[in-house]
Amino acid sequence: MNAWIQAIINVFINPIFYKSTLNQSTPLILAALGGVYSETTGVVNIALEGIMLIGAFGGVVGSYFTGNPWYGLALGVLLGVAMAALHAWASIRYAGDQIISGAALILLAQGITGFSLVELFGKPGSTDLVRSIPLVNLGSFENVPFFGKIFNSLSPLVYIAFASVAFSWFLIYKTRLGLRMRSVGNNPEAADTLGVNVYNVRYFGVLMSGVFASLGGAFLSIGELGQFTENMSNGRGFIALAAMIIGNWSPTGAMWASILFGAASAFNDQLQSQGILHLATNTQYLFGMIPYIITLIVVGGLVGKSRAPSSDGIPYIKD
Amino acid sequence: MRKYLVAFLALVLVLGTIGMSITVFFVTDTGGLGDKSFNDSAWAGVEMAAKKYDVTANVIQSYEQADYIPNLTAAAQVSDVVVAVGFMMQDALAKVAPQFPNTKFIFIDGVVKSPNVENFLFKEQQGAFLVGYLAAAMTKTGKVGYVGGIPIPPVLRYQYGYEAGVKTYNVLNGANVQVLSGYVGSFDDPAAGKSMTNSQFSEGADIVFAAAGLSGLGTIEAAKDAGKGHFAIGVDQDQDYLAPGYVLTSAMKRVNVAVFDGIKSVVEGTFKGGTITLTLKDNGIGMSPMTYTKQLVPKPIFHQLDVLKKAIIDGKLVVPGTKEAFQAFQVPQIQF
Repeated sequence: MNAWIQAIINVFINPIFYKSTLNQSTPLILAALGGVYSETTGVVNIALEGIMLIGAFGGVVGSYFTGNPWYGLALGVLLGVAMAALHAWASIRYAGDQIISGAALILLAQGITGFSLVELFGKPGSTDLVRSIPLVNLGSFENVPFFGKIFNSLSPLVYIAFASVAFSWFLIYKTRLGLRMRSVGNNPEAADTLGVNVYNVRYFGVLMSGVFASLGGAFLSIGELGQFTENMSNGRGFIALAAMIIGNWSPTGAMWASILFGAASAFNDQLQSQGILHLATNTQYLFGMIPYIITLIVVGGLVGKSRAPSSDGIPYIKD
Repeated sequence: MRKYLVAFLALVLVLGTIGMSITVFFVTDTGGLGDKSFNDSAWAGVEMAAKKYDVTANVIQSYEQADYIPNLTAAAQVSDVVVAVGFMMQDALAKVAPQFPNTKFIFIDGVVKSPNVENFLFKEQQGAFLVGYLAAAMTKTGKVGYVGGIPIPPVLRYQYGYEAGVKTYNVLNGANVQVLSGYVGSFDDPAAGKSMTNSQFSEGADIVFAAAGLSGLGTIEAAKDAGKGHFAIGVDQDQDYLAPGYVLTSAMKRVNVAVFDGIKSVVEGTFKGGTITLTLKDNGIGMSPMTYTKQLVPKPIFHQLDVLKKAIIDGKLVVPGTKEAFQAFQVPQIQF
């Protein structure tokens, strides 16, 4: 038992645990923000998983063909927005079922990336290493004890993720556009009566979700690895959806929930790496559950009832 | 007249079958093509056979475990030989193979008892033992890491072989090198592999062996990021080229040879159901030639590895492949 307490203390005093938390929450934060934009305006977007995947793919393709990972990022976002536009088109313009459209887009993204991978790189499964976005070097800050190790050489996308949270909070709660987004998500009829163009605002929300989810995907490929592997989003889009719900559809709430998921996963990695525990291999299955157990505890015990925008998921048809 | 026609058609049919090329379908596991290890190696074996014999090579990718039964069934319906890989496919194959008695199955990493299935197993622990010994000899920090995908038997054989290699180094050289080991819970999540490797680096390991399919590519990336003094150890195929100078060596498992031999046995008509185990002795297991890192390793260590290799081949050193065997493992007296 003492070994366990010692191991857990070791985890929390290791700066890499915090760094790993930041790295693992970044794609979740970005994708969850995407979900917030879309659902605030009343469009459910489960296609986040697919948009992440296509963003990751675009990032590597752009970086591979131009040699500049920033162009890759731009291409990833472009493809992500295009995919979100398909979702918007089906679910706003044609008032289609948003879950079906989202599910279809996930499969579409898997198909497109799998196919193009072979066409562009000549082999399936994974690409070669491409240039990834350079990490931010903080110079002499690196020598600051503890914090230097956490914050030195993080991907710029980590900073972008947190800046996006602040930006989105401001946009959604402090601007006129944000007010319109919320009103369209809660009561589109009323908003329409007051002269708000429901369709345009919803288009905006869904396209923005494409921007952020694809940024999250690009972080996985050209932020973390410098390589695309098939289905590399690996369910993170769905975890991001959960983070958005736990975070009560608000940018800051989604951020905290994403950090929670990231921290739980980092905790799992770090705890398994403790030499003093001498773990039996079969207990390592249990470790994989840590993130979900923590989630259950937090959702069940700490977070109050979360409330979706009242018209979330309901297509608006103008009479 | 009609009688002759029927006989003629039957003859054409028979001759046609004899002259016709063999159709081979390769069903990947969820790691899929492009994992730069297990599946790619198997596919290389199929392609090798296609080059040498009159064989048409096809592949079906499995994206999730639920794909195994439909993919195997589809492949079995249209082909003469189905190559199935991965322990995780064992149950699916055990259901499908008996339904197609005329199709021959080559199965890697598991055992299905059916007369039309030829199983290939590997003593992964022998290769892992050698890379474990090398890692223990090369570590500067006294800690080495192990990142596994999912704890299934072949991956466990890698783990215990590796730990036995480290233990052997400790006993024979009076050292105290520690192993940090963890499982990412997936064979296709390189980002998760990378973060676990970084955790192990932060706990003081400087050489990390990954037996985790695609997830292991994250380990190689982490070693490259961590820079000088950090190494990854590759798995299944020679992965040294993926990050020259940062992949110390690779524990090789020549899945391609097994697949090729299996197809060859069908072509030559010597196919029979049963289980074949490939080892260090028959070169089914080995270490990569260390193209980029050879000069970093002191000569005496290579000599020690050769002695150990010989001891394993001669049966003087039995490398444990399960938890029980590992716990009972005693390092034998070995003179270098």
